[in-house]
Amino acid sequence: MTARADGDEARRTILAAIRRNLVASAPFDAERREHEAGRRAPTSAPAASGEPATSALERFRQAFEAVGGRLAVVRGEREAAEAVREILELKRARRVAVSDSPLVERVIRQAQLGDVRLERAPDRAALFDCDAGVTSAQWAVAETGTLVLESDRERHRLASLVPPVHVAIVEAHRIRETLGEVLRATSERGADALSRTLTFVTGPSRTSDIELTLAIGVHGPGEVYVVILEGDDHA
Amino acid sequence: MNHPTPETFDSNAREALGDPQLRGALRNLASVFGERRKLAILTVDDWEGLRERARAVKDETLAHLDTYLEAFAANAERAGARVHWARTGGEACEVVLRLLGERGATRVVKSKSMATEEIHLNRALEVAGIAPVETDLGEWIIQLAGETPSHIVVPAIHKTKGQIAELFAEKVGTLPTDDVAALTSAARRVLRERFAEAEVGISGVNFGVAETGTILILENEGNVRMTTSLPRVHVAVMGIEKIIPRFEDLDVFLKLLPRSGTGQRLTTYQSLITGTKRSPDDEGPEELHIILMDNGRSAMLRHPVTRQALACIRCGACLNACPVYQQIGGHAYGSVYPGPIGAVITPQLIGIGRAAQLPFASSLCGACREVCPVKIDIPELLLHLRAEIVEGTTAGTAAQHGPVKKKVVERLAFRLYALAWSSPRLYEWSARLLRVLQRPAVRDGRVGKVSGPLARLVPPLGAWTAWRDARPLAPRSFRELWRDELSGRTKEGRET
Repeated sequence: MTARADGDEARRTILAAIRRNLVASAPFDAERREHEAGRRAPTSAPAASGEPATSALERFRQAFEAVGGRLAVVRGEREAAEAVREILELKRARRVAVSDSPLVERVIRQAQLGDVRLERAPDRAALFDCDAGVTSAQWAVAETGTLVLESDRERHRLASLVPPVHVAIVEAHRIRETLGEVLRATSERGADALSRTLTFVTGPSRTSDIELTLAIGVHGPGEVYVVILEGDDHA
Repeated sequence: MNHPTPETFDSNAREALGDPQLRGALRNLASVFGERRKLAILTVDDWEGLRERARAVKDETLAHLDTYLEAFAANAERAGARVHWARTGGEACEVVLRLLGERGATRVVKSKSMATEEIHLNRALEVAGIAPVETDLGEWIIQLAGETPSHIVVPAIHKTKGQIAELFAEKVGTLPTDDVAALTSAARRVLRERFAEAEVGISGVNFGVAETGTILILENEGNVRMTTSLPRVHVAVMGIEKIIPRFEDLDVFLKLLPRSGTGQRLTTYQSLITGTKRSPDDEGPEELHIILMDNGRSAMLRHPVTRQALACIRCGACLNACPVYQQIGGHAYGSVYPGPIGAVITPQLIGIGRAAQLPFASSLCGACREVCPVKIDIPELLLHLRAEIVEGTTAGTAAQHGPVKKKVVERLAFRLYALAWSSPRLYEWSARLLRVLQRPAVRDGRVGKVSGPLARLVPPLGAWTAWRDARPLAPRSFRELWRDELSGRTKEGRET
């Protein structure tokens, strides 16, 4: 096919141009390396400064609330269900998108949401009509207040994005200290095992495009609630 | 609408200087982003170390760019993406048009991508009868206004909320309120409908990871997530310099970019996309096309000084710090990339001949170099480009363009200066001559405004001295004093 042939030609040309220019640069590079010999060598990552006084959960709370998120800490799934019910009532949600996480399923069931319409794999029209989305998160990052969603582990890419309210149920033991740790953890089993989409979510959506004035809730959810689930109660 | 071009930078700048609204907006930008950036840096243990490491990663990548690009393409394709290569912006536009044509797609949403602005993709699509909708609020505003972005990160910074309110009232039919929350809601409402019906989403790429074939796109609004999750087809346009070697390298750039650009620890969303979904029932696009675009970038590899510009991560910090940009804004540069980084990459992307004034739009204060997260030495690059322009060493510069012609007097002056001041004797004699020549300009012990033929012959002289007073040259130079009295010896060598 012509398009493919053109594409191969373009690829060859670009790679050849890169190699040619790098070769042309070589004599100047040598000069420059000498000239820069005194430049400071890159430092390794700073060593951890000992055990911090607060817990990871507390640090997550601080960072998450600092970007406008709302947090509740509960023990056990029954309490989580209660928290979710309260949030959905507060938001007067009549139609709610839920992910396929077993944890979310259990919590939603226990929440006894009455006549709230639950959408488990909504089509586009239904999705855009939902008032809230309930999902879990695979990781949370304490340093930045970030939720990490792995598309291969849960179907929550759209439920966490389209409805104006996002409720995330997160098990406390999934909190990590830094983003770097999560990047390593998600990629350590190689490229093929990497989730096809990793989404990092740090609070509600925002913009400062108009006169640098902050506006919350643009295209992504304007409100993000996180329910941290402590304890091993899976009843 | 007529957009300013880089060829007319001088007059563009003059026009911008006469716009008080623009200058107010720019002052606000500089102080707000400047403060936020400073505070954000304090939340990092070793900011300088991060910059060094980021620059080292970029240097390593650029030194082996072909290898890393090939690895990226192979890994992205293994994960299900289709990788296309485009030598020029025109070729990249052709690829997009072909992809849309083959699929009969007309409903296109776009997230903010400077690369697509660079190649005028929207115009190419519109000519073909497709109306792409910009979904980033700032980009949508300028799309409605028929303008180009004036800043890499906040494209509509030059507009007041009053202007935006009028624009929305006219184009979208909203009530003319200038309440920012209301304007944002209106945009959300309209654009949500576009997302719901979109067939193709076009985005840029902030980083491409060679090791895994992953593309990372960061944002605050959620329009990137919408653009890359809802439509069936996702097309990502990526400059070839956006590659980094390893997945873990993302960490250092995620620490630097948001802090440098907007003073945030992290932007609201990062999407890390590796190929296409594993099963048809999964969420997300069915197709991912990544267009690797050269468009002048490979040529910048030819010299270590020009190569460093390819390390740019498009944070915009240099714009916010630049005293020139602060006065004139982005449109005056006539290029998609304004400010300090624009002054050094625009000439290289569109040809030095067309952008010869840009490298001179700087006082070389170095503020840009200080704030650049990847330590690009922009002043060094500016001087390098100035030398190329003045010496005409690059094809297409020398004889045919205005700026070089004007500089005949300047070249003569510098030649005389070099001649006279390379010799101690000539130096002294020229100083004595100047002492005589200055007399008419000395009033009340100061050298005031220089006017008349001298001012016309040496153009900056009249302008400089219109606002500045200088001290006149002393009746005797230090060398003369030293010789005659201070050294303990007279001119004839006798002790005093």
